[in-house]
Amino acid sequence: MSTIAPSTAGYAVDVVESTDGRMVLSMGPQHPSTHGVLQVITEIEGEIVTKASPEIGYLHTGIEKSAENLFWSQASTVIERMDYLSPLTNALCYYLAVEKLLGIDGQIPERAQQIRVLLSELSRIASHCVWLGTGGIDLGALTGFFYAFDLRERILDLFEASGGARMHPNYLRVGGLAQDLPKGFLDKLDGVIAMYEPRMRDLRGLLQKNPILQDRMIDVGILEAEDAVAWGMTGPILRAAGIAYDVRKAFPYSGYDRYEFDVPTRTEGDAYARFLVRLDEMDEAMRIIRQVRKELDTPGNWQMTDTKFAPPPKETIALSMEALIHHFKLVSESFRVPAGDVYQAVEGPRGELGYYVVSNGDNRPWRVRTRPPSMYNLQVLKKIALGELIADMVVMIGSLDPVFGEVDR
Amino acid sequence: MPSSQTPPPGSTAVDPTAVRPTIADARILRVTPDALIATLRELKAQGFSQLTDIGGVDYLEREPRFDVVYHLLALPTRESSIGDVGAPARVRVLCGVDVDQEVPTAVALWPAADWAEREVFDLFGIRFQDHPDMRRIQMPDDWEGYPLRKDYPLRGPASERTPRPSFALKSNVAAGTPASGRAAAALQKQLLEARSREVKTAAEAGRTAQTGVHPGASVTAGDASAKELAERPVNLNTKDNA
Repeated sequence: MSTIAPSTAGYAVDVVESTDGRMVLSMGPQHPSTHGVLQVITEIEGEIVTKASPEIGYLHTGIEKSAENLFWSQASTVIERMDYLSPLTNALCYYLAVEKLLGIDGQIPERAQQIRVLLSELSRIASHCVWLGTGGIDLGALTGFFYAFDLRERILDLFEASGGARMHPNYLRVGGLAQDLPKGFLDKLDGVIAMYEPRMRDLRGLLQKNPILQDRMIDVGILEAEDAVAWGMTGPILRAAGIAYDVRKAFPYSGYDRYEFDVPTRTEGDAYARFLVRLDEMDEAMRIIRQVRKELDTPGNWQMTDTKFAPPPKETIALSMEALIHHFKLVSESFRVPAGDVYQAVEGPRGELGYYVVSNGDNRPWRVRTRPPSMYNLQVLKKIALGELIADMVVMIGSLDPVFGEVDR
Repeated sequence: MPSSQTPPPGSTAVDPTAVRPTIADARILRVTPDALIATLRELKAQGFSQLTDIGGVDYLEREPRFDVVYHLLALPTRESSIGDVGAPARVRVLCGVDVDQEVPTAVALWPAADWAEREVFDLFGIRFQDHPDMRRIQMPDDWEGYPLRKDYPLRGPASERTPRPSFALKSNVAAGTPASGRAAAALQKQLLEARSREVKTAAEAGRTAQTGVHPGASVTAGDASAKELAERPVNLNTKDNA
């Protein structure tokens, strides 16, 4: 009987024994279909997987440790690098937690909240575009990739316009945003809204009804509702198993309760159900974006007027002594946050993204613990891969949609 | 070194969870490792079906030093609509642990605890009793130390760092800014050390050449004595060096 040794000295991959026709096969960490640096050590009998053991940690960058050693407002720069496909969601969750600790969570201006919602829904679409494109490539459907990435590109242009960077805009701040939306942003946004529907029609036509994709995905990697809960699944994977848990509905934040949207669910729990749930989620995200777009024509405050947390406007610094002092204090030693701990969750593209933030009253966080949805989602591979074909491993990893910046942090 | 950024003594909390303001994010329970599994099992029976996360916190000066934090969520375990899910209750279990104290594993209750506990072990060094696969998960298996502990150094030892004088910036060199003060003294010391090493190896090379072990070995020190070379003053004016 070949075994993957419960290793104490070295990686499990060192042990490759085969006495009864089973074979230990290491997949990755350089395999292109693993969507990053994932290694899966599989034990196979013929073509059937009898054991799968994902090995992670190849992209560990110590982000949680770095965040402890930066000012409260600086930490978001590294935190955005966790889930690099939807950086704004990470920053939003972290800032919501900090605002709760500061006790200012009720004072965030409405326009700031609308823009936060807008950008996190755009992130959701952009992130699902990557999943859709690369997931299609895994199965040989190359064309969809270009359609999906083109749409994502337009959304990244919006991020670039808002915060100055395409991938990690670092646009949010405690109490609101770094600046208002620039001129011309709303026209670009209208362009994205207009192109979305025909583009999704094309994508669905290419992929959703494609008999090859259906053959590869239907009844692959089935996860029942009860197991999904026990294994800590959230987001599209949990909803594909039939449980309509969505943080935006259950614990609304940033004014999500003001918008109308549905939570798409399926009951099959297989890879195809996850595929459909994510596609429907993109449509729901666009529904929210359309509602927010209508509100954005009214100008308003995009940052709290309390300059204890947010630097005063640049123009006032040369004119007001007070503004200069506040600016200097914020830049040189940041603000302090009252001691305490808080858990805050948001609905990221991959599920419940949570931050457990502890402050000891200092100007740096004492601890920033991420609840990484990708890590829990990936862990279930140990269960769903059993009894499946080795060739379907690629389908299952794709349907779990892990992002390794977040799994390994 | 105290600086303007160091908070005044007494202004920070050693145990922030004890002084937290009321924030309605979860029900909070505090348990000892002995009572942990019984508490978790009871909570699971009450309907907290999902283990959202396990995290660790190092409070350094507090007694007990660590907290292992369990976040639980009450989700329905069968197909259910938004109405059925509602606003599920959250509970947070804080388990105080000391160095070298072990925590019983929760893998038997929730399979999701597997990797989460491995990560707490990996980054804080808190062991979980009866865990099926207690090895490092993020760091390499042969890593020494536990990076998220507060006493873990942020940088490597000084001897392993590349010497990098603070004034040797491009702009300073271009402007011909001479080195001054402590930085200059530190650089002088580094250069002297490096030079005496060089001299030593050169002297050794010369000795071996004389005894004929390595006839081809070059003698870089030449006729200058090692002492003279080591004592040659170092010119720190970057302009002259350029």
